[in-house]
Amino acid sequence: MPKSKVSLDVTQVENFVFDMSRCIKCKGCTWVDHIYMPGVKYSTRCPSATKYLFDSYGAYGKMRIGVAMVEGRLGYSDELLKILYACTLCGACDVGCKRNLDLEIELTLEALRIKAVKDGKGPMPKHKKIAQKIMQKHNFFGSHHENRKKWLTDDIKPSPKADLLYFVGCSASYTHPEIARATAKILNTSGTPFMLLPDEWCCGNMLYSVGMIDEARELAQRNIDAVRQTGANILLTSCAEGYRMWKVDYPKMLNISTADLGFKVVHLTEYVDELIKKGALKLSNRIDLRLTYHDPCSLSRLSEPWVPWKGERGLWGVVNPPLERRRGTNGVYQPPRDILNSIPGVELVEMIRMRENAFCCGAGRGTKEAFPDFASWAAGQRLVEAKEVGAEAIVSACPWCKDNFTDAVKNNGKSLKVLDFSELVLSAIEGTGKRR
Amino acid sequence: MAISKEAYKVLESIVGSEYISNDPTICEGYRSGPGGYESGLGYERVMTRIPGCVIMPRTTEETQKIVKVCNRYKIPYVPYSTGFYGPRSHPHVSDALIIDLKRMDDFEIDEKHLYAIVGSGVIYSELQAEAMRRGLYIVIGGGGAQVSAIANMIGDGWSPLSYRVGLPHRRILGTELILPDGELVRLGSLAFQDDYHWGEGPGPDLRGLLRGFTGHRGFLGIVTKMAIKLLPFQPERLEPTGISPNTALKLPERRVKWINFTMPSKDSMRRAMVEMANAEIGAGATKVPIFWRAIARAKSKEEFWELWSKENEEKIANFHVLRVLLVGFTSEEQLEYEENVLMEIIGELGGEARRTRPTDESWFKNADSAGMWLMCGGYVSVDYVIETVEHAIPHGENYAKLKRNYTPPLMPDYGDPGWFQSFELGHQGYSEFLVYWDPDENTDGVDQFYLETSKENIRKRFYTSLLGSHQPLYLTGPAYGPNYHKWLLKIKDEFDPQFICHPPVPLNHDVFVERAEWLKPQKDWESPELPKAL
Repeated sequence: MPKSKVSLDVTQVENFVFDMSRCIKCKGCTWVDHIYMPGVKYSTRCPSATKYLFDSYGAYGKMRIGVAMVEGRLGYSDELLKILYACTLCGACDVGCKRNLDLEIELTLEALRIKAVKDGKGPMPKHKKIAQKIMQKHNFFGSHHENRKKWLTDDIKPSPKADLLYFVGCSASYTHPEIARATAKILNTSGTPFMLLPDEWCCGNMLYSVGMIDEARELAQRNIDAVRQTGANILLTSCAEGYRMWKVDYPKMLNISTADLGFKVVHLTEYVDELIKKGALKLSNRIDLRLTYHDPCSLSRLSEPWVPWKGERGLWGVVNPPLERRRGTNGVYQPPRDILNSIPGVELVEMIRMRENAFCCGAGRGTKEAFPDFASWAAGQRLVEAKEVGAEAIVSACPWCKDNFTDAVKNNGKSLKVLDFSELVLSAIEGTGKRR
Repeated sequence: MAISKEAYKVLESIVGSEYISNDPTICEGYRSGPGGYESGLGYERVMTRIPGCVIMPRTTEETQKIVKVCNRYKIPYVPYSTGFYGPRSHPHVSDALIIDLKRMDDFEIDEKHLYAIVGSGVIYSELQAEAMRRGLYIVIGGGGAQVSAIANMIGDGWSPLSYRVGLPHRRILGTELILPDGELVRLGSLAFQDDYHWGEGPGPDLRGLLRGFTGHRGFLGIVTKMAIKLLPFQPERLEPTGISPNTALKLPERRVKWINFTMPSKDSMRRAMVEMANAEIGAGATKVPIFWRAIARAKSKEEFWELWSKENEEKIANFHVLRVLLVGFTSEEQLEYEENVLMEIIGELGGEARRTRPTDESWFKNADSAGMWLMCGGYVSVDYVIETVEHAIPHGENYAKLKRNYTPPLMPDYGDPGWFQSFELGHQGYSEFLVYWDPDENTDGVDQFYLETSKENIRKRFYTSLLGSHQPLYLTGPAYGPNYHKWLLKIKDEFDPQFICHPPVPLNHDVFVERAEWLKPQKDWESPELPKAL
């Protein structure tokens, strides 16, 4: 068989025709890993397939639809756009497929959205409005750019120059300042000098996620250059979506490796883990709380570093050179659990679906903006699960999760506290450390 | 003929607008291929169509109404639970209605009387998890943990664990069946009382009609609810461990144990199975095909081929690994006793125990069938025989010889003679022959091999279990009947005179051979006269 050239370039959907055409409808993308299958309740991990039910909303349907799109057998329609965009791109399907088949499902879904934009049909109208805000005001919400640092209070001391740069992100800057403040105070308490970007712009998560690759790439290059100019060696985020953008999607868009960024991308959960191990942070304040931890998709199964790959595919679909597949195995699963567990008084109870099997909160990657009911429904599913294990609070490590859970608690009337990881850590250390 | 607006409205009124669609994108999502079981082959290309409409009922009553509407408006329909069984579980005619049963996920369990009542949307791993939580278990069929329990129970439904607990027809208890014309039939104890506990009922046992040996893939109506017999397990938890893709159940070693043995010959493997059965020990016994071992060891497709390319005919011919499952159902002492007896048997036969991981990756909860596609991208089990182990072994060897003529396009397997195992405590033996191919190559040879196996079975008198809709009915019917095909069509005609339940099954393979030019040279039997309704 003649060998075909192939790469992981998501701007060319043809790279993924092989993956689309090898889907076997085992629905490993939708079910919880059968080894961990809990029973007839909480048996799925794909929000889209669980909510909309038709096979066409599961990855197995989308792969077939994708082939038809590439072959020109299927035209765009409202239903097609809904199938492409009423999906959290949470990576559950990708991890599930790679348990057995190693198909690049996540990249395929991204490539299909990029194709929809290229064809002038995507993204959804709500996405276009937000994209305009990002382009004009450099933030997701269309707020005044000069308000970006309003979260800074007098008791927080960033340095003008430091080894570590805290990239705050839109959500923590504008709508969840408590997360930005908690993060900064944790750094201050541990004695870690940190700086902020002189002129921070949106990370572009939504632009990339909905397929606006040109705009997202431009923003990625601008942001990387800005960080490189500061000379920082560590870029820290308290936002899981931002973490994935910097660590995975920026390199992906620019065809470089994560290692070639010139700085290390670290999430707050990883950094706090290091600080505790170094003895720079002690979680000594007692917090009497039975809580459960929600794995943010972009910190867990979607967070493995990016390495560009191109090569040939030959007989049996074997590729050369060998491809190190990102299967979600090495996501950030354990550090947040270890940290929360070590807070005196905290009782960490796991939800039934956890780690790579976790059910997405529904907020991410343009979903909440275009399909708010779906996002609210997904969060509601998760809250029921949290209540079922007797949690008093649900803790995540991403402002977008917190935002969506908080809204869902309001809408569903569930009596559950919604907290960010940073807030809990701050409560456990406040008044204990050396402030700088 | 497309489903009329009037018929669509009637169907919509049954389930609500949210659960029915004729949108082309929705229907495209229900396409059989290009990937999947048997997909990418001629059968998929020639015989399957995307549906004209998809409907998702919630209850038996809704399903019954849908089927009646189909009869009234002459809409061909196909029952569909998970869609995993490749082209044969997808529409074969244009503008068919797929009745997607995934919303029918009702579940009840009666742990006292050892059964669970499941809807068509309940899959095996869900059922197994519920059963194990209560100290019970079932066999997850080789189709995989992800298949509908009902579909598998009326289709295949066996695994190495069938050594202890037998074949699935024994585990079908009270069952609700909607006949092709919409009439509701209750089987077993359900026929005369509202109780699912028993499989046999008054009059002839319709379970035979429902599944035969390997089922009819949805041409005799829709099973909407079934009580499935559960079996007592042991009390220790099988603990899930690891992060995907390396997940497994950690076994409580004093209660559950897999042991692999290297045996000196194929015959010693067979004798071990027989002796185990004579001693009434063991919970599972199967030969390990060498490529399964390579799949388990490889971290990727590329690594598999690196490992596989180092194999050779001699090594394959001398690879005899027997995998035995021991379960201390009643006590730790039971396992200890059975292990001692087993070691004695194996020792006498010259076998040797290998180091075996104290985990279960497949069979208890997972039945990892999806992994079969990793190597080549195309896979089907062309035949299975349920007879005796003595019958099973030559069946596989014979197929291995035949396969040489069709390799390539079939994957080179150095003469591997397939997979065999012992069922029903040694009273039955099983052979399964799996083939693999690259779907991007010309696959005519795979279709030809599939057809040739049917003829080979007849020539060599192998008792295939894959009759009915899996092979040309007019080829196999006279040979196995002599009028098996006529009976099957009479039954079909009696229950489905309009031939609207998954047409043209059971004549599907006959129609395929008629349409596939590349199979013509093999066609040397009488063609069927298609029923008028077709």
